[in-house]
Amino acid sequence: MSDYTIVGKRMPRVDSRAKVMGKAKFTADIKLPGMLVGKIKRSPYAHARILNIDTSKAIALPGVKSVVTGKDTEGVKWGVFAYTRDQEFIQTQKVRYIGDEVAGVAAVDEETALKALDLIDVEYEELPPVFDPMEAMVSETELIHEDFPNNVNIHVNIDTGQVDENFKKAYYIREDTYVAPEESYFQAEPYAIVARFDHEDCLEVWMPNGGPHMKSKPLSNAFKIPLHKVKVRKIAIGGAFGGRSEICPVDYICALLAKKTKRPVRIEFTREENTIATRQGHAMITTHKTGVDKEGRVLARETTCYMDGGAYSSTGPIATSVPFLSMEQVYRMESVRYNGYRVYTNKPIRGMIRTHGRGFACGLDIQLDMIADHLGIDPVEIRLRNCRKPGEYTSTKSYVDSCAMDETIHKAVEKSGFKEKWGKLPPFHGIGIGTNSVQTGFPMGIRGGSQSFIKFNEDGEATVMSGVVDNGQGNDNMLVQIAAEELGLLPEDIHLVSADTETTSSDPGSYSQVSTFVGGQAVMNAAKNCKEKLFEVAAKVLKVKPDTLAAKNRLIFVKDDPEKSIPIKKVVRISLLNFNSVNAEGGYWPKVDMKREWVKNPYGQMCEAFSFGTTIIEVKVDPDTGLVEVLEATAAQDVGYGINPLVLEGQFEGSIAMGGQGGMLTEYHEWEGGRCINPTMLDYKLPLACDMPPKINNIIVESIDPKGPYGAKEAAMSIAMSAAQGYSAAVSNAIGVYMDSFPLTPDKILAAIKKKKAQDEKEAPVKK
Amino acid sequence: MEKIQITLNINDKPCDVMVSPNDTLLEVLRDELDLTGSKDACSEGICGSCTIHMDGKPVRSCLTLAMEAVGTKIKTVEGLANGDELSDLQQSFIDHGAVQCGFCTPGMLMSADALLKENPSPDDKTIRKALAGNICRCTGYAKIVDAVAHTGNPQDNCPDCLTSSKPYKIQGE
Repeated sequence: MSDYTIVGKRMPRVDSRAKVMGKAKFTADIKLPGMLVGKIKRSPYAHARILNIDTSKAIALPGVKSVVTGKDTEGVKWGVFAYTRDQEFIQTQKVRYIGDEVAGVAAVDEETALKALDLIDVEYEELPPVFDPMEAMVSETELIHEDFPNNVNIHVNIDTGQVDENFKKAYYIREDTYVAPEESYFQAEPYAIVARFDHEDCLEVWMPNGGPHMKSKPLSNAFKIPLHKVKVRKIAIGGAFGGRSEICPVDYICALLAKKTKRPVRIEFTREENTIATRQGHAMITTHKTGVDKEGRVLARETTCYMDGGAYSSTGPIATSVPFLSMEQVYRMESVRYNGYRVYTNKPIRGMIRTHGRGFACGLDIQLDMIADHLGIDPVEIRLRNCRKPGEYTSTKSYVDSCAMDETIHKAVEKSGFKEKWGKLPPFHGIGIGTNSVQTGFPMGIRGGSQSFIKFNEDGEATVMSGVVDNGQGNDNMLVQIAAEELGLLPEDIHLVSADTETTSSDPGSYSQVSTFVGGQAVMNAAKNCKEKLFEVAAKVLKVKPDTLAAKNRLIFVKDDPEKSIPIKKVVRISLLNFNSVNAEGGYWPKVDMKREWVKNPYGQMCEAFSFGTTIIEVKVDPDTGLVEVLEATAAQDVGYGINPLVLEGQFEGSIAMGGQGGMLTEYHEWEGGRCINPTMLDYKLPLACDMPPKINNIIVESIDPKGPYGAKEAAMSIAMSAAQGYSAAVSNAIGVYMDSFPLTPDKILAAIKKKKAQDEKEAPVKK
Repeated sequence: MEKIQITLNINDKPCDVMVSPNDTLLEVLRDELDLTGSKDACSEGICGSCTIHMDGKPVRSCLTLAMEAVGTKIKTVEGLANGDELSDLQQSFIDHGAVQCGFCTPGMLMSADALLKENPSPDDKTIRKALAGNICRCTGYAKIVDAVAHTGNPQDNCPDCLTSSKPYKIQGE
């Protein structure tokens, strides 16, 4: 196998020492001289016209340094795409959800800022709100955005193969509808931002982000200042899960307050604000119609999904597509029609979340289990018959190179004892399987590639510059491991400068699971180029050809004669004495179809690699309480190559928690009109240590992707998604009812058990 | 509100600080004393990110008034290590990959440290129960539980400890 020294090893993360000592600085920990406290005035109405805003009393309050409203924004609107720019940073005309931004305040302390918020008088004219996407499409009341008829924000239509003809050929057809409400990220760290304009009028900002360059460009646009004048700084980030990717109004408001006051401003979100006013996951109503042949192979599928998009577009076109794309990647479906409708409602904004469309994916998998049941096939077999194989194209024309989908199924089945347990477990015990696939990247145009710079210092250590951001998943360590491996150094010899827009080149960030594949590969290429320079100098000293050399453990040595060596530090110094600095750059740009567009042209190469995952869950359901006890979870994913198994395991386990344990059993939002009534950790049930399965089996499957660095691709997202499917399948299996409404809370489980019991008694009244 | 001076004993050092009667201990630690290791993630005593020790017991500093802490011994995450020398528990967190984003880590460490002082070799269930007041969104808790269990019951064949203490041997050393 490989003879790598640093990659592929269980290496403790480089950032963990500062974190266990409490020294790692997060945004809310930043204190700058003269810093003010910022607060946001939010709409109390779900839908209302703004008639007038009077800030005079607030501005007169001693200690208040600035109050900004929509009048100060020059009408700047935000949207990820040119055709989705529908969100003003501060509303000028109307408010569209409870929590919409109407004003910002900067004051000397929090108490004063909060008092000032109360002193801002906003005169509203209430408008009829709409909270249900199905109602929103037929509502006669004022549109939420006047240029979007029927409140339909996005419609994605994909149609390939011969769907109607193949339905006619099908041996068995099922049509089922699945629903799931909104879920939230609940990152450990509530959102926070610090902004200041420095002595050169550069905007300097710190905030949790999914990619610093994705924050700097919209800020540069909004303030009409050159990109180099926006400096997004590196800071420790307390989780993202898709919820930190875009710019959000508070970024602009905080920077605007800093500009007006000429002082640094810090805004910290409350937990409630983090839930309501960042992003949430979409609620979805999904209908899958599937036609199969006698062996259970899918001949035709038609899926229609209605997504509650909330008040603004956000990443709408992407969020409307990804649930479908994950399914078309994991399962072959040559003839498929997809209609995804993202509908505006007067609820908080929905964006990307780790488990893209839990109701969508779980529905499709549950239906597959129902079909298998009808045909007398087991759930494993029907998946093996339909799952993706390497060398195939997805229905939207992406070539799938590396793919060990069936290996993940086989290994998870073996480890979990699925075959021995299936159909043989005692009553109210169940086992279920879920499979999924996730993109390693999206087509991101100019921001799709990454470039890295490396410089050697005279002590033989190296500084690596990369735009990749670490949200907590371990990206910093990944970059250090790759650089150390390629340069022949030890991890402690690498100084990483990352996630800072002043010093690093454009990069997609952690967005679309692409950090290792693109950003890691850019570092790898830069390091290779740097090593070449070292080898040229070393070759002259050792009197050999450069291509006979290798680097490891701070030494450059002759591959066939390792005794013949020279320390890297010495090579660097010789180079410097000969007036040559030792530095290099390297980049990576994935070859995706740049013409592919989410709505207008959803066909073509999506990304260069896909991950594939299988999760098997075993549960016990208490028929009296409806509570689910998870006995064991087995997660197997094709990650391409495991750069750090220790980190990967942690990612798998976290995915089981968020996708399965929370995502399928307890996590959802409840509403009273447009008001979210469980925005805090007290009411929104996140999994705790005592809730988790006592045993999680992690299986890292390596398919060695030909284009990934060392063969690596996306890691653990297809566990997060397949975990949801595994949980829903296991509970369904335990209670003998195929569930169609998620998450599977005790009330739903008890109702299903009761209904089944009544049905069984009706059908077989004399049964013993 | 008018501020008054109090003296707090924090990490074995007396600290004079001006507080308002309604200031929480967390606010005073973070804003007045620059001890920002303790985190504010919910402000209502649910998430456990602000957990500190008061006379050896784990306490939510966001629900504790600074005034209540007068006359007690306070320990924060900054006081766990002995200078640059990490405690066994801190090292175990690193070795076992128990740290991801790190935001919950300080509170998690303080709860675990208090548990280990009461019960030096807790079993899996006891650990999970003791950590049930600390929410982690990244790890799924498995590696955190491993790290705590290992601190209480070190095993010679633990692959994570073996790799971390001397991960990469340098030739000639």
